[in-house]
Amino acid sequence: MNAGLNLLLVSSAALFAIGVFGVVARRSAVIMLLGTQFMFIAGALAFVAFARFGLGARHGAAGASMALFAGAIAVAELAVGLAMAALVYREHRSFALDADRG
Amino acid sequence: MPLIGALPQPITSAPLVFFVYLVLILLLGSALASVLLRNTLYAIAAFAVSLVLVALLYLAIAPFLLVAVQLLVFTTVSAAVLSGLLRATTGLRTSSVGRLSPEWIIGAAVSAVMFALLAVVLGATAWPVQACCALPESFGGVLGSTYAVGLAVLAVILGSAALGSGLLLAAPTLISPRGGGSTPARGARR
Repeated sequence: MNAGLNLLLVSSAALFAIGVFGVVARRSAVIMLLGTQFMFIAGALAFVAFARFGLGARHGAAGASMALFAGAIAVAELAVGLAMAALVYREHRSFALDADRG
Repeated sequence: MPLIGALPQPITSAPLVFFVYLVLILLLGSALASVLLRNTLYAIAAFAVSLVLVALLYLAIAPFLLVAVQLLVFTTVSAAVLSGLLRATTGLRTSSVGRLSPEWIIGAAVSAVMFALLAVVLGATAWPVQACCALPESFGGVLGSTYAVGLAVLAVILGSAALGSGLLLAAPTLISPRGGGSTPARGARR
């Protein structure tokens, strides 16, 4: 039993799928933003996994650098998205983005 | 001599493999809980747990600087921004759990014990960083030299995001006479 590239890539794909599910299936702006965060995390995890176990391991710091950049971009996206969610809440007293709930 | 060298071997140390599997299972579970929970506060808590678990996973497979940044910056900033959103809207005010309730005390105690345990393990043995993450080149050095332009662009992006979110939050909102929200435009149908 070991932990290598395959395990981390499968986990990354599962995390990305969870994020897609959150974006597609939920109506709350906050949950949709959390879904996008999980997609960012999945991408960063794949970068780190390739840097640690894949062909990129000869330049291992590059994958970690990409993960760092992805995390920072995710935080920036979260800040702007949550400000927009706050505006939506001010208008409709709800985080729902569904037109039926308007 | 082969053009591409042999791939790095997967982690085979039994405690480390168990640690990675455990963290991955907990990570997927908390991520699923985060997108499935109806209560926004609980969803945000599950998201914060997911970020901490990602940091723990990085502890096994990535440079320690990335672990520290993930744990101290990304997790803290994300949780603070999300908590600020709830405080600015409605979530935290309607929470039925008091500040000094048993739930908060137990949660804080468990968190403190977990972080203390992690600090003791890292301080005493440097496990698992020392065992698995000996990188050929310094992560900080690569960031400062190879990706200096990337860091500068990142600083601009983060500054723009902070400015944009500040401007969005400072935008005026017309208050409805019924207290529901903004006044609809004339002719608009509800």
